[in-house]
Amino acid sequence: MVLVLALGDLHVPHRAPDLPAKFKSMLVPGKIQHIICTGNLCIKEVHDYLKTLCPDLHIARGEYDEETKYPETKTLTIGQFKLGLCHGHQVIPWGDLDSLAMLQRQLDVDILVTGHTHQFTAYKHEGGVVINPGSATGAYSSITYDVNPSFVLMDIDGLRVVVYVYELIDGEVKVDKIDFKKTSSNQSTQ
Amino acid sequence: MMKKKVPDWLNSSLWSSPTSSPPSPAITEYTSPVFTPPPQPPSPPPLILQDPPPTQIIQESQSEDPHDAPPSEFDISHQTQLLAELSKKVMDMRELRRIACQGVPDSAGIRSTLWKLLLGYLPPDRGLWSSELAKKRSQYKQFKEEILMNPSEITRKMYNSTIGDADDAKRDRALLSRSEIPHDEHPLSLGKTSVWNQFFQDTEIIDQIDRDVKRTHPDMHFFSGDSKFSKSNQEALKNILIIFAKLNPGVKYVQGMNELLAPLYYVFKNDPDEENATFAEADAFFCFVELLSGFRDNFVQQLDNSVVGIRSTITKLSQLLRKHDEELWRHLEITSKINPQFYAFRWITLLLTQEFNFADSLHIWDTLLGDPEGTQETLLRVCCAMLILIRKRLLAGDFTSNLKLLQNYPSTNISHLLYVANKFRVQSV
Repeated sequence: MVLVLALGDLHVPHRAPDLPAKFKSMLVPGKIQHIICTGNLCIKEVHDYLKTLCPDLHIARGEYDEETKYPETKTLTIGQFKLGLCHGHQVIPWGDLDSLAMLQRQLDVDILVTGHTHQFTAYKHEGGVVINPGSATGAYSSITYDVNPSFVLMDIDGLRVVVYVYELIDGEVKVDKIDFKKTSSNQSTQ
Repeated sequence: MMKKKVPDWLNSSLWSSPTSSPPSPAITEYTSPVFTPPPQPPSPPPLILQDPPPTQIIQESQSEDPHDAPPSEFDISHQTQLLAELSKKVMDMRELRRIACQGVPDSAGIRSTLWKLLLGYLPPDRGLWSSELAKKRSQYKQFKEEILMNPSEITRKMYNSTIGDADDAKRDRALLSRSEIPHDEHPLSLGKTSVWNQFFQDTEIIDQIDRDVKRTHPDMHFFSGDSKFSKSNQEALKNILIIFAKLNPGVKYVQGMNELLAPLYYVFKNDPDEENATFAEADAFFCFVELLSGFRDNFVQQLDNSVVGIRSTITKLSQLLRKHDEELWRHLEITSKINPQFYAFRWITLLLTQEFNFADSLHIWDTLLGDPEGTQETLLRVCCAMLILIRKRLLAGDFTSNLKLLQNYPSTNISHLLYVANKFRVQSV
């Protein structure tokens, strides 16, 4: 039962001052085992804040990040799943499922987490699952101003993953969940 | 020097016998380990020693023979008496208790069965044993399943979500469907009824239990070390303590409960009967509950100052000491100003497991559990005996040396100690 927090595109301080208060009250240290961040934090203070939530922090570089040392892509294994991380501005067209699927095959991961579009999406295709946690602060994106703050918490338990989607809609936190299971037949490269 | 309250037998030659066994504690200090065989030739250790349970401290049973009762024949007849009583169809509990108080041999799982009977886990009627055991063991299994589940599994069972397994096969790519969450059941929930929230609140207790279990008896291979065996034992101890803490929110887990559980689990796990050894965890759980039911009040902080709390128990001990040995009492409490809490707290709450080595404490527990007067009364008598046995050294010492002595009680002949404790009962009746 591993809890993995996926979030990104905070754009602090340029486009948003901070995470919404309701999100911050929920994010307390001690509950989460890993954090994967799609990028565009953008400053060190946000990095430090995330570090207090959980020491195991993985970040991919977004185009506005002030820290240049983050990698472009990252892969990690948690339990039975391989996760891939990339900001997403490198994948053109932005947010396009086919191109992201190509990236996923390249990285050879079961779950690919990308951002940049600031819209939550979760797709599955024959290679695996692509999740976009959206923007945790609701910052405007290159594409649209209409953004709801959102982030994702994955509960990895053996071969199943329950993805909890937290969205701030009209000032209220709405939580949904998505279940999926890893089936070995889905993996092409064995 | 005969003071009024010191009874004759206290000053008898038994106490200062220099050469023959048992070595008087005043003389032997820390040099002679308690399992030096007494130089009485005809004593019957072979009978008791022959089937050692898998530990290296079995020699302890040698100290069984009480030295002032006729030694040799007593033990053989005693063991046969015990076996005879245990093999009866319906056992007489009073008789059993009486024999148990005289000591229990370490062999053949006698102790394991005896403790289960004394703690009321097994009924005296042998015919009912299999049904009782089956019932209790399955109940424990149920507890484990309900209580030790982590929230992921709980929510999965509760909401029985159908994963899109069928969908996977049919469609290659699709938007994953979202489903609503009832009742705020998500991992970051701060709601009081949320399974997740309760889980995170419990982790503190579970961490504490984990730490204490790892520190239990670090010198014994049974409990500590990296072997698979010891790890599984630790796991069992943890499970029992966690389930107890969850089922008893009033007292939860307090440091020290692990020490009370350890001897129970050890004895049951080392039962030569295969079936009993496999179910040692379940048996130890119920016996632990039974044992703690008498002592629960010691662990509740709010009751500390009340009539049933630990402070009043310590006062009782103090009064008992005063009754039997006023001189010593006066010296300890008034002259050297040792608050009995400094030493008696650990003696009483942990039932003397920390004061003697493991095998000795098993012997003491035989008496504690078997005595018809009740465990707490017996415990106080034994503590009183412990004090009086080292009276010479205590009377000669000041605050520092006495406290040091009492907190590191010197090893002594256990059967002698129990004999002295028994004497107190005879007098007070």
